[in-house]
Amino acid sequence: MDARLRRVNKEIADCKNDKSSKITIDLVDDSPFHLIGGFDGPEDTPYEGGRFQVDIAIPDNYPFQPVKMKFITKVYHPNVSSASGAICLDILKDAWSPVLTLKSTLISLQSLLCSPEPRDPQDAEVAKHYMTSKSSFEDTARYWTSVYAGGPGGGKNAAGKAGKAAERDEIAMAGLDRAHVAQFEALGFERAKVVRIRCFPAPV
Amino acid sequence: MSSDYDVSDDEGEYYEYDDEDEEMVDVEDGSASEIEVDGFGNDFKVGARSDRKIYEVEFTALSQPEVERIMQADIDHISSIFGVEPPTAALLLRHMIWNKEKLIEKYMDNASAVAVAAGVELPPPPKPSSSKAPAPGPQRNSRRSPSAPKSPKGKRASPPAEEPASDVCPICFDDSQTAFLSLLCDHKFCATCWKEYIVSKVRTEAECTVACMGEGCNVAAPDPFVDRALGDDRETWARYQELLVRQFVGCIPHLKFCPYPSCTYTVSCPSAATKSSLAQIVPIVTCGASNTHVFCFGCPIDADHRPVVCAVARMWMKKCQDDSETANWIKSNTKECSKCMSTIEKNGGCNHMTCKKCKYEFCWVCMGPWSEHGTSWYSCNRYDEKASVDARDAQTKSRASLERYLHYYNRWANHEQSAKLSMELYTKTEKKMEEMQVTSELTWIQVQFMKKALDVVHKCRMTLKWTYAMAYYLALGNEKELFEDNQRARPLTCRASRDLERAVEELSELIEAPIDPETIMTLRQKVTDKTVSTAPTHPTPSSPADAVARTQVYVQKRNEIMLEDTAKGYLEGRWSWNMPVEGFDTDSD
Repeated sequence: MDARLRRVNKEIADCKNDKSSKITIDLVDDSPFHLIGGFDGPEDTPYEGGRFQVDIAIPDNYPFQPVKMKFITKVYHPNVSSASGAICLDILKDAWSPVLTLKSTLISLQSLLCSPEPRDPQDAEVAKHYMTSKSSFEDTARYWTSVYAGGPGGGKNAAGKAGKAAERDEIAMAGLDRAHVAQFEALGFERAKVVRIRCFPAPV
Repeated sequence: MSSDYDVSDDEGEYYEYDDEDEEMVDVEDGSASEIEVDGFGNDFKVGARSDRKIYEVEFTALSQPEVERIMQADIDHISSIFGVEPPTAALLLRHMIWNKEKLIEKYMDNASAVAVAAGVELPPPPKPSSSKAPAPGPQRNSRRSPSAPKSPKGKRASPPAEEPASDVCPICFDDSQTAFLSLLCDHKFCATCWKEYIVSKVRTEAECTVACMGEGCNVAAPDPFVDRALGDDRETWARYQELLVRQFVGCIPHLKFCPYPSCTYTVSCPSAATKSSLAQIVPIVTCGASNTHVFCFGCPIDADHRPVVCAVARMWMKKCQDDSETANWIKSNTKECSKCMSTIEKNGGCNHMTCKKCKYEFCWVCMGPWSEHGTSWYSCNRYDEKASVDARDAQTKSRASLERYLHYYNRWANHEQSAKLSMELYTKTEKKMEEMQVTSELTWIQVQFMKKALDVVHKCRMTLKWTYAMAYYLALGNEKELFEDNQRARPLTCRASRDLERAVEELSELIEAPIDPETIMTLRQKVTDKTVSTAPTHPTPSSPADAVARTQVYVQKRNEIMLEDTAKGYLEGRWSWNMPVEGFDTDSD
């Protein structure tokens, strides 16, 4: 039996048996080499309460080459591209070890959400936001979690969770550039509409 | 191997000509600083049999085994200084990118830090040891640097320790695997996984550093371990060794791999190892595999680009490849319709333009709408307005620069094309040589001159080609004039003028001329005449072979003088450029 297939099958089975970590690995189609992983947003972070899905592609040389992962769920995080979901994480590149598994990698992603690394960003805009105003960044991240990852609060009221900053500017919340929105406003669009359209490129 | 790959070995049988020149040799060659600065007085100064010409660099070609021997010498050296096994020394050196001095310095400073970073020792906080007692192993630990803190595991040998299967390999989960291997960190994996891992590293990633597969484990696999893990996969082992050599060559500044496809030779050229030296010499080298593997040690150009230095040659290549000149052409030959912005080339007719696309009518001179010109048709009275004058100046300037570039580029491309054609000529010439053997009484050896002459033509064409690139960038001044005089014919200083270009063309023509007994006679006469007029003292040639050979030797001399003069120019800092060139800015100050 093919070593890669045996190993992936075992990993999927192990994950099914382990209920405590709440990490899932599901098949996309019949092939065990294209999977979707899922995990909960870590507690005490803006991602809490959300459920995040990750696209997993197993390369031919697995486990000697790192697995390819990217977020399907939109995540507002310095090390995750807000457009493509691409992830900047060392173990997905040079620090990969054949000993790592799909589950351990997903757990690493989970902990990446806990501890952003803004000095090595995937998304420079988000990283800038994180560096300049952490609380505003967290509001946006929470907002995205509620909108895209089914987090609590729902919609624009998510800002309420931030406590003191209940009246936060919805532009910053959506992670948009103020000048950019102003440009659209100058064209005669309502601000709220601009923010909503920029936030929801496709029906969620 | 000697650096003397030049043409001198061709001259054995036509020596009279040389001997005469030899008498003029009064300067020992190589002593560049003492050679006269005067560009015209020192024709034929350097003898054909000299060791190394001023325009050549000293280099050695090395085969892969030779490079491996050099590597091994470094490894043995480090091994004896530090008292470690050679495979450990190799890992240390690879970690320090083969910088021996730096390694020694750092190792003396903090041996264990270096050893840990290189993956030949475990990090100081000892990992919880597994079930095993410090293994029986090996000879090498006793010789480790005493200052290195040792964990119990640190005592283990780096060569693979085979273990009985105690559990399942954490990578493949295959419980039928029985052979386990581990490095000194004791992370055990089955032999099959190790092998696949190393094959994947070496073949897919072209990586010659193999670290332990354990998560976050930095321990490196020494060569004997890799060898053993690969087992009977000798192909991957050979590739691994090749990668090691490549890494070594890449780290050492005075070594360079031959860039020709699938060539495994390396060239060592210490004189061109620093960047600053490249402003003074053009390090053209050949590797040991073939004489056709000619490349520049200092830059990525896979050809002889003498006499131009690397930085200028690169600028020229880039300029030729860029579309910038197309843009220049568009700029100097076209204007945009001021309404629809279509690009328009005016190739005749009057100034009353009608845009083909948008039917806008305008004046070509002032670009204003034609309707405003009223009755002053066909003589725009707005011509002298300042804006128009400025525009005209800009356009003239751009056109002049384009013409200048094209002047040099056309000649450059022409030589390149001719050089390509002369490769085709080789086959034709071989035929002709056979023909000659039949029609005249020349032997096979005697007709070889044809082929040799062709070699010379090819070589000279390459030199000429690059002189145009050089001329394009040379600053306007005496240097440039001198240089251009050197390059082209100048009847007044016939012998001293080094009319390389004309001579090459003549020789080229001679080679291509159809051969039959009669033509041989006329051809011989022609060549004799020419040679006599340029070098009147030498004896009359006795055969057509001599005739061509004479021209060939003459051309060769021209080429050498050309190269020598430019090379000297670099050493003396005589050349200045019309734009900033890497390495020259500081020199000229």
